[in-house]
Amino acid sequence: MPLLHLRLPVVRFKAMFSRLFPAALLCLSAVASAAQPFGTDLQGQPVDHLAPSGSKAVVLFFAASDCPISNRYIPEIERLQRAYGSDGVRFLWVYPNPTDTAAVVRAHDRQFDITADTILDTSQRLTALAHATITPEVAILLPAASGWREVYRGRIDDRYISLGQERPHAMKHDLELAIRAVVADQHVPPPGGPTVGCSIVPRNDQ
Amino acid sequence: MKILRLLPLALAGCALLCLPPPHHATHAAEAPVTWSRQIAPIVYQHCSTCHHPGGGGPFSLLSYQDARRRGPQMVQVTQSRFMPPWLPEPGYGDFVDDRRISDEDIALIRKWVAAGMPQGNPSEAPPAPHYNADWQMGKPDLILTVPRSFTLYASGTDVFHNFILPNPLKQTHYIRAMQILPSVPQVVHHANVLIDRTASWRRAHPSDWQNGFGGMELEVDAGNIFDPDSHFLFWKPDTPVLMEAPTMPWRLDPGNDLILNMHLKPSGKPEVMSARIGLYFADKPATQHPMLLQLDCDDQLNIPAGDSNFVVQDSLRLPLDVEALGIYPHAHYLGHILEGWADLPNGQKKWLIRIPNWDIDRQSVYRYRTPVFLPRGSVLHMRYVYDNSENNVHNPNDPPIRVRAGNRSVDEMSHLWIQVLPVHVPPGSPDPRLILEEAWMEHRLTKVPGDDIALYNLASALAGLGRYTEAAADYRKVLTAQPGDPRALNSLGAALENAGESQAAADAFTQAIASGGHACDARFNLAQLDLKRSDFPNAEQQFRNMLKQCPDDPDAHSGLGMALEGQNENSAARDEFQRALQLDPANFTALTQLGQDAIATGQPQQAIPLFQAAVQQQPDDLETREHFAMALAQSGRGDDALQQLGEAATRHPNDPEVHALIAQLLDAGGNLPQAIDEQRLALHLQPNDADGWNNLGVLEARSGRTAAARADFLHALQLNPNHQQARANLNRLPPQ
Repeated sequence: MPLLHLRLPVVRFKAMFSRLFPAALLCLSAVASAAQPFGTDLQGQPVDHLAPSGSKAVVLFFAASDCPISNRYIPEIERLQRAYGSDGVRFLWVYPNPTDTAAVVRAHDRQFDITADTILDTSQRLTALAHATITPEVAILLPAASGWREVYRGRIDDRYISLGQERPHAMKHDLELAIRAVVADQHVPPPGGPTVGCSIVPRNDQ
Repeated sequence: MKILRLLPLALAGCALLCLPPPHHATHAAEAPVTWSRQIAPIVYQHCSTCHHPGGGGPFSLLSYQDARRRGPQMVQVTQSRFMPPWLPEPGYGDFVDDRRISDEDIALIRKWVAAGMPQGNPSEAPPAPHYNADWQMGKPDLILTVPRSFTLYASGTDVFHNFILPNPLKQTHYIRAMQILPSVPQVVHHANVLIDRTASWRRAHPSDWQNGFGGMELEVDAGNIFDPDSHFLFWKPDTPVLMEAPTMPWRLDPGNDLILNMHLKPSGKPEVMSARIGLYFADKPATQHPMLLQLDCDDQLNIPAGDSNFVVQDSLRLPLDVEALGIYPHAHYLGHILEGWADLPNGQKKWLIRIPNWDIDRQSVYRYRTPVFLPRGSVLHMRYVYDNSENNVHNPNDPPIRVRAGNRSVDEMSHLWIQVLPVHVPPGSPDPRLILEEAWMEHRLTKVPGDDIALYNLASALAGLGRYTEAAADYRKVLTAQPGDPRALNSLGAALENAGESQAAADAFTQAIASGGHACDARFNLAQLDLKRSDFPNAEQQFRNMLKQCPDDPDAHSGLGMALEGQNENSAARDEFQRALQLDPANFTALTQLGQDAIATGQPQQAIPLFQAAVQQQPDDLETREHFAMALAQSGRGDDALQQLGEAATRHPNDPEVHALIAQLLDAGGNLPQAIDEQRLALHLQPNDADGWNNLGVLEARSGRTAAARADFLHALQLNPNHQQARANLNRLPPQ
């Protein structure tokens, strides 16, 4: 299982994040509009920062444990993370739905061998920041002077055309093209079609 | 500009939605749509059969919270008619379990979501249905489990996998219901079960059959018995149990394998599949025998890249009256419009199905709510349109390439299966399915003249219909293409033997044996020829040779028993019959021979279970039923004996012997008047039977009708002046 040894660098990465980059922490928290965290991790700890200083980009994968299309894309996201995760691109799984509690998501991540870090979007701040409405939708954020700048939001590829219309396999890998453009400091092409999946459930009407 | 263009449209849409329907009371239109009052009943009828915990749907829709979570999706998928999955166009066939949701219900879901998905008063909601994730009808009589679990990888294209499940039982059973537990129903699009009568796939893969094999379609070797596919053993996520009509259970023989063909969809994580099939036995064999007919256009499939409107057509004229019970259209990813209909002799066009937007993921068998009568001379039609352009999102080839028929998902298929039940069959006719088979195979041969399987099947149908000379001619054609084929040689021999050409038959059997392969059938037939000629020593030798090659063949043991009995080696014969019964408790020859042996040795009670099993095997065999009645009568069960003879008389109303036997039993039971009636009936059927007239005379004399008795004895003597008993009886009568 190649996925197992990928888990280790992630843990080490977290440690570096808190110990070795205090300056970056201070700097980021300043732009990330005061004390409100982005969400919590699976241990219930607030996540105040999306990525360490110097990161090139953050890829937010909006997921839902009970959304079949979102689940079917997990291996593809894992593939992209393996391919691009070392180029200063941080992958984060974001669970915005109220039913996806820490316990539910922990079990889900275990089942699906999810190796990247996970954020529970408990206040749907990230959902709002990325303007996400659907799982599995993906946003690419680049660090900017005022916090984060969204350069891509939308589908992963064109396998699903609408609910019920599905290609045998994807023909256009929109997200991968966008990540490549980010890594190469080029203009990021927008997605070629709508995201297909399950609506994100708003938290404010619970 | 955009806003200006959109506004009038939005207003028009709103106006349409907001106007109260003309025939509804105003307060009904104003009442808010709630989960409890309107939506839960819709969801419980149309959605939760799959969408429940453990069901085939990817999430549950049993509670208000569940539905609220999916509200906007529900609007989207019902409006696009992606859900509930239902491909047939309404008005083109009336099907059981029609899953199509009404426009009114779709509008209610839309209104509910637009109003913020209110729950309403929970006490108004119907109770949520309860689903049993295990066996629906209790523990099955037989549970088959795939020999090895199969791991479906986490992602990628769909997978088509076939699992082989051998039947471990040693007796024939009739299956009235089947349930498939796929173990992970959420990843199964659909499944088909095929009966591999000869375990052909397992035999072809002796070392690794437990792993199963890939592929969308497969052919199985049906063996030597005419036994056409008759049932759609099809599973889709909302099919908990597949029930057969009480008159039409399907047969499962010892040595059969079930092949579970599954269309699987990766879920995002590896899934370990370990499917089980549960079978429920019927206590009686089928009394009605449907048949699956197939129209197909595979030979026409040669679809140019980019062609969005490639049309294929096939048709088949029905040689007899049938009722269509179900239909199963099938294509792969390029299929677009799938149509099936029948042109009736009166010129009427009767639609059987129309699928305007085919989707392989949602394929299904469709069963008619009431059987569709199709008179003899009707022509079944199929017309499929394929889209091999890049605009077809299902196109597996990027860019499109030329596509032909084949087994892989990138190939195409063009099949329309129809389950038909022959009706209005005159009594005494041959199996009507043979006539359908003849028409079907003739038709296939007009399309592909070199189709050896069709030619072989045609020859076998002709042989089944008793047209042995024609059958032999067609088998010879098969042998021209496949010289030395042992099966064709053996079948040729059987046809020749029935055509009265015993020597040519023996030659064909000998050639089949000489061809070297598995020739147990030919050896058996050659030995049977010897038995027929009462050449018992040669027959014995042949059966012994056969047993060297196939030691566990029950027919070889019972045949050897016959050969030994012919040489008065009764004890050795009995051993062979008993061995045959050990191997096959339903071996007809062994049952009847051991039964007769028991009667002959004064043990009629031991004969009863043997004949009981034998009449179950061959209910129309008159001699066996008469022996059965004899065993019963000799065991003091006269009424049961009479019942068996009554059954025999129903099946063979024109057989004088049965009525004569009934007369004897009735007489023994003291029922003289009825005995006389039966004996008269026997003589009506066979007026030249001197013994019969003598017997009638005895009955008449006993009932005191001396004059009638005298006439009967004289009649017997007229037919046979040397009839000693009749003369003696005549002399015993009191003088006139």
